[in-house]
Parts: sequence; structure tokens; C-alpha cells
Amino acid sequence: MIVSNRKDLKEIEKYIENLDKFFLIGCSECATLCGTGNEEAILNLKQWLEDNHKKVTGWMIAKTGCQILGTKRELSQYKEAIEQAQCIMVLSCGAGTQTITELFEEKPVIPLNDTLFIGNMRRFREFEERCRACGECFLAITGVCVVTLCPKSMLNGPCGGYKEGRCEVNPLRKCAWIIAYETLEKRGLMEKFYENILGPKDWSKANSPRQLKASTGYSKSKTEDPKEK
Amino acid sequence: MSNLKKKLVNGEFVVTAELTPPKGPEINQMIDKLKELKPLVDAVNFTDNPSGKMRMCSLAACKISLDLGFEPVLQMTCRDRNRIGIQSDLLGAHALGIRNLLLMTGDHPILGDQKEAKPVYDIDSSILIRLINNLNNGLDINGNRLNGKTEFFYGGVVNPNAEPLIPQLKRFEQKLKMGAEFFQTQMIFEIEKLEKFMDYAQRFNTKVIAGVVIIRSKKMLHYLNSKVPGVSVPKWLIDKIEGFNDEDVEKFGIDFTAKLILNIMEKKICHGIHLMAFSKVEEVKNLLNYIKI
Repeated sequence: MIVSNRKDLKEIEKYIENLDKFFLIGCSECATLCGTGNEEAILNLKQWLEDNHKKVTGWMIAKTGCQILGTKRELSQYKEAIEQAQCIMVLSCGAGTQTITELFEEKPVIPLNDTLFIGNMRRFREFEERCRACGECFLAITGVCVVTLCPKSMLNGPCGGYKEGRCEVNPLRKCAWIIAYETLEKRGLMEKFYENILGPKDWSKANSPRQLKASTGYSKSKTEDPKEK
Repeated sequence: MSNLKKKLVNGEFVVTAELTPPKGPEINQMIDKLKELKPLVDAVNFTDNPSGKMRMCSLAACKISLDLGFEPVLQMTCRDRNRIGIQSDLLGAHALGIRNLLLMTGDHPILGDQKEAKPVYDIDSSILIRLINNLNNGLDINGNRLNGKTEFFYGGVVNPNAEPLIPQLKRFEQKLKMGAEFFQTQMIFEIEKLEKFMDYAQRFNTKVIAGVVIIRSKKMLHYLNSKVPGVSVPKWLIDKIEGFNDEDVEKFGIDFTAKLILNIMEKKICHGIHLMAFSKVEEVKNLLNYIKI
């Protein structure tokens, strides 16, 4: 999921100084899991705006804010409230915010959240970054994503900076390569791993902006077709 | 062939020391230190923005050293340059006459004085070592042919104090496989840990220079222990100097390091020492006079 965090209200204040009427949009996907785009977050924001003598013309929660056409359809029933608003506030990730920017080019669109990372939720609303969307997944080899979990994105083992298995950058965390090393050992793959060198990584796969026309199928080549086996 | 390589290959014990290039454009102080170091050691390592703290580049410092007729070791990290910058800088270093390289991944910027900097780490130290191997074979990192071959003598770093140690030993082997011709260790406080590492390293035909530090004060020891990546000062050593006054700590520091070096030399544990004296040339001089290398 995409993990987002609510912006500091002082930053928001700067954006809305000269604006009075707002329409609020949340997202029922990641931002709801993060508590940054659910009904409670929207109502808290509404209250804060009203306490600051601002008017909220309406609000809604998009099913999937990053889905442009679906969100456009959902928003059609809020046409009047949106027209009355001088500004739209979006409580989602940056992708959801840009859906709204694309749909309402003439109105200011203000993100209420900062998008942080792709991560997992271990406990309720406790998130850990797990993927850097680098475009080249090595998890089959390393078990844990060392590109993400190692602050130096080391591909071939730990640096010399760990102490008692803890990372030099954040001693509260276990060194990603100690975790990867233990995983390799449990799988009986440690010796094999060190026979080769991983990389240099193809960072061109992570060059932004990226685009994709996705396919759900796998290769139709004869060797991979189960019917042929 | 560099003098450092010649000596190591001939089995002579080498002594190197470390200088950190200046924080600023003024180089006279560094030149004075270099002149003082020249008769004392075989080569001087110039660090590459150590602990992520911004300094003059190692490459320029190496060139200044060469101009003074003194052999430098260029330390190169992966923190601040991508593979294009690294190769480009190295070809430039070679053109200026720099031959010795010490290659490492580099401390993270978060530990330094420019914490907001974007870390690069396009490649890691194992890949960097293979990259030099390529340059020496007249190829770039992608195997494209260069208009000649470099003649670098290049080494990697290893931390015999690391816990757990095995991942560090595997990295050492991997760097050897990539072509590292020598190794420099992280600072050693306990000879047993160095011996244990060398027991392992001796099955491979490589040269190891042991990093040693001259303890100057209690504050310094605490700093090394808490702030320097990969350095763990043994508790017994911290406890031992805790009761000393400042003057006694200095005496103890010289004595402690001298004994460590003499032990390394007498037992022929490794092939040289590298003095990490944090640019305090006076201490290097005192220490080397004390043990009369």
C-alpha cells in the first residue's frame, strides 16, 4: 500500500490564507488504511476549517482515488458543491491528488497529505517501508528487499558499518543484510549467493516518469504452456 | 608499479597514515603535515569526505601529495557519485599519476554535516572493485573498450571487529574474487580479533594492512564507540582508561598502540599497519619514534 501522513496544519494554513469555501475528497483505499483519507479524517478537517471560519461546501470519499475515470464518475453527483467551492482539498496520496487536478484544472487542488512510501502495516496504523518501486525485483534472491531496507541499497552483503547486527544509519533497526544473510542461510542458499555478484543494478528501470500497459497473461511459449507438458 | 605495491609484493612491512583533506580552500596546513609525514611512512591515504562530512576532494589532495614527491592512496567511496562520476574521476586520477586506490561504500550522509544530501550509492564496494578491475583491463563497467588500460593498485576494506563476523568474511572473499589486491582493516583494538580474521584470510593470497588508532582522550574513545560506523571499542578498554587523568590517557594511548603494532610485527600477523591518527601528525611521529620502525 501507499503510506501517507497528514501534513502539518501550519503548512496547510499557508495554502488557504485567501480561500473560504472548500470541497473535501478522501480515498477509501490506502489513505483510509492510513487514517489520512477516511471519514474521520475528513470530518476532523471539516471541523478545523469551520473553527477557522471557513465553509465546507461538501465532501466525498472516492472508492479508488487514483482511478481517474471511476473517480470522475463518482464526483459527477457533487457537481454543485464543487462549483461552489473555491478550492478542493484531497486526502489521499499524491496520485489521488493528481486525479483531481486533472479533473478540475481551473480550481486550486491542495494535498492534505505527504506521500511517504510503499509499505506494509504490521500493527494498526504502524507502517514499514518495504518496496522502493525500483523496477527490478531481487526478492527471489535476497528474501528481503535490500534495495529498500538497506539505506545504502547494497546488493552484495553488508557494509562495514553495522554494530552487533544493527544498521549504522538507524541502530534501532537490524541490518538488512544480516536479515538477508540469515534468510539465505535458512534456505541453504548462502554459498550459492556469494558465488556471483549481484548488479550493477539497472537503475534505468526506475527512471521517472514510468508508464505501463499491463498484461495479465504469462508467456504463451511452448515450454511454459502447461498443456504442452 | 607503485611503491606501496612493490613493498607489499616483496613482503616488506608497510606503514601508511591517514590525512583528511581540509574543510575549506586553505591547503598550507595539509602541505605542512605532508612534509612531516613524508620521512615517516610509505604512503598517505586521503579520505573521501569521511563520516559524510564535506571536505576538499581526495583526488586534489592526492595530486598535491604527488607534486611534493609523496605517494598517495586515493580513497574512493560510492556515496557521492554514480558509476559515471566514479569512472570519470578515476580516469582523471590515473592521468594525474595516482595509482593506489582504497575502495569502500562510504558512511551514510545522515552521519555527516550535510544530512539533507541525497545519497547516491549507485553501486556498492564489491561492484566498485570489479569496476577498477575492468579499468585495468581497458574496459568500462559495461565492458566498452577504453583507449588504454589503467594501472591501479587497488584494495578494499574489511572489518574484523564486526559482529556477526561471517557476513563480513563473505564480503571479504567476494571483494577478493572481484580483484581486490590488498585490504585495509577497520581500527583494531584487540589483537585476538585481528588474528582470528587473519587465520581466515591466510588461505587466500592477499595482503592485509591493519588499521590502528592512537587513543588520545576519553572523549575520543567515546566518540569512536558511539559515532563512528563499524567501530566498537571493547568495554574493558573504556573501563580501563576511565580512571586515568588526561595526561595518563595520552601516555597509555601511545603505549597501547605501540604494543599492538609490535605484537603485529613480531607475530607477523599481517603485512603492514595503517595509522588512523585523524591528521595528528605529531602523534604519528611520537608513536613511530617510540617503536622505532
